Amino acid sequence: MVELKQYLNEIEKNNKKGKKINSILQINPEAKQVRKSGKLKGKSIVVKANINVKGLNASCASRVLEDYTSGFDATVIEKVKQEGGIILGMANMDEFASGGSGETSAFGPVKNPRDLNLIPGGSSSGSAASVAAGFCDMALGSDTGGSIRNPASHCGVVGVKPTYSSVSRYGLIDLGMSLDQIGPIAKNVSDAALLLRVIQGYDERDSISQDSKKINLKNIEKIPKKLVVGVLDFEIKDKNIQRLIDEKVKLAGKEYGWEIKKIKIDCLDLAIETYYPLVYVEFFSATRRFDGRRYGKKIEEVAGPEVLRRILGGSEISKAEYHGRYYHLALKARKLIQEEFAKIFKKVDCIVSPTVPRLPHKIGDKISIEDMYSYDVLTVPANLAGNCAMSIPCGKIGFIPIGMQIMCNNFEDEKMLQIARSFEKLN
Amino acid sequence: MDFLWHEVSEKEKQEIKEQAKSIMDNFSRKLSKVSKKMQESLVEREKSEREEREAGEGDSDFRKTIFENAPNKNKDFIIAEKKQW
Repeated sequence: MVELKQYLNEIEKNNKKGKKINSILQINPEAKQVRKSGKLKGKSIVVKANINVKGLNASCASRVLEDYTSGFDATVIEKVKQEGGIILGMANMDEFASGGSGETSAFGPVKNPRDLNLIPGGSSSGSAASVAAGFCDMALGSDTGGSIRNPASHCGVVGVKPTYSSVSRYGLIDLGMSLDQIGPIAKNVSDAALLLRVIQGYDERDSISQDSKKINLKNIEKIPKKLVVGVLDFEIKDKNIQRLIDEKVKLAGKEYGWEIKKIKIDCLDLAIETYYPLVYVEFFSATRRFDGRRYGKKIEEVAGPEVLRRILGGSEISKAEYHGRYYHLALKARKLIQEEFAKIFKKVDCIVSPTVPRLPHKIGDKISIEDMYSYDVLTVPANLAGNCAMSIPCGKIGFIPIGMQIMCNNFEDEKMLQIARSFEKLN
Repeated sequence: MDFLWHEVSEKEKQEIKEQAKSIMDNFSRKLSKVSKKMQESLVEREKSEREEREAGEGDSDFRKTIFENAPNKNKDFIIAEKKQW
């Protein structure tokens, strides 16, 4: 096991100095190598800066909350501490989780440890980059439309979005309350499964929380038999990305005797159009508390352009004059997507696709909003349907890691991790 | 455009507002064309109420931390601005 001191040395060397990864915003002054027993004994964990850790700065990488000290632990943090995990520090992120590139933080962009010129993906940019850079064992992120899986893919690590409602959101500073989910990021599937096992479970402090079957870590090691893998039929411009996925699936089919099926999802091209109106409106609503009266600064006065776009857009489309037309249309389209996935999961055990349909751009490159939002096209459907989904490394194009997304039906997180571990064993 | 964080001028705020509206209009147009009969999405929960019980002791540090976070405060209370909202 890597000792905390080694991680702190690595952070000292390459976070603000050296490679200047900029993935860690604050080191926990209380972090020490404890010998407390538990499932996470001695594991060093970095936490996305939108999750409350008592005594640390839950800044959401924004000037709005840059001086805000959390007065309590989120449920997931209580659970990590109870199991002997060490909270190493707070991770940089896209400001208020608004972004998919890791560039929108008010405290500077996060660099991708695999190629320092490239974006690491977002919004859990600092969490994924910290794991990839060797700053910690594991990290916690949050995923509203791909914010765990997207940076996990670009940084070449494992990221899990659990089934909606299976992990408590109490203590998470929300972006889109009907979509947000906290989840683990780790170097491998086993570590991700371990952290998810610790944080999952019913919590009465989260009104949507539901109990779910506890993940059996021994089962993760078993290779499932008679599995039907659905490979998503979706047009991707970069054929090399799809080729890597197809090769891996073909190999799994051959080695494990899995049945492979091409599947088409009719409403997939509506995912982005459905997702963003929901997020804009819910984010606008969530940010009304940041009025600068009780703590912090007023959000409209100090937030960056992407946060403002979502607030101003959400404000506009939720105006009474529209009678909720946009939001209701999006809710209806969401129902359609949920029904479509329910039908598909009667035919296949999992759906496999690239996590992100394009390669990461260079930090600071100019791209259109449509192109930026298109990074999420394959990840948002799982949030809209509430399914579990995860990204595992699948290969590289040049030095750039490519992630494979595995999606399973609601509350089939254990099966998903089992499939992911089986793919991982092929490496 | 680049997505790097920067301070936003009043002029840019106006541009962002118009841009956001335009994006949502486009999305809405596409969603309006969906021909399938759609129902609204509802989340049903069997268990959605918290069980009543005695309040806990609370955290002795909580009050201190929250006061430290407040932009304006007196010894025993947080000061909110008047006539600005």
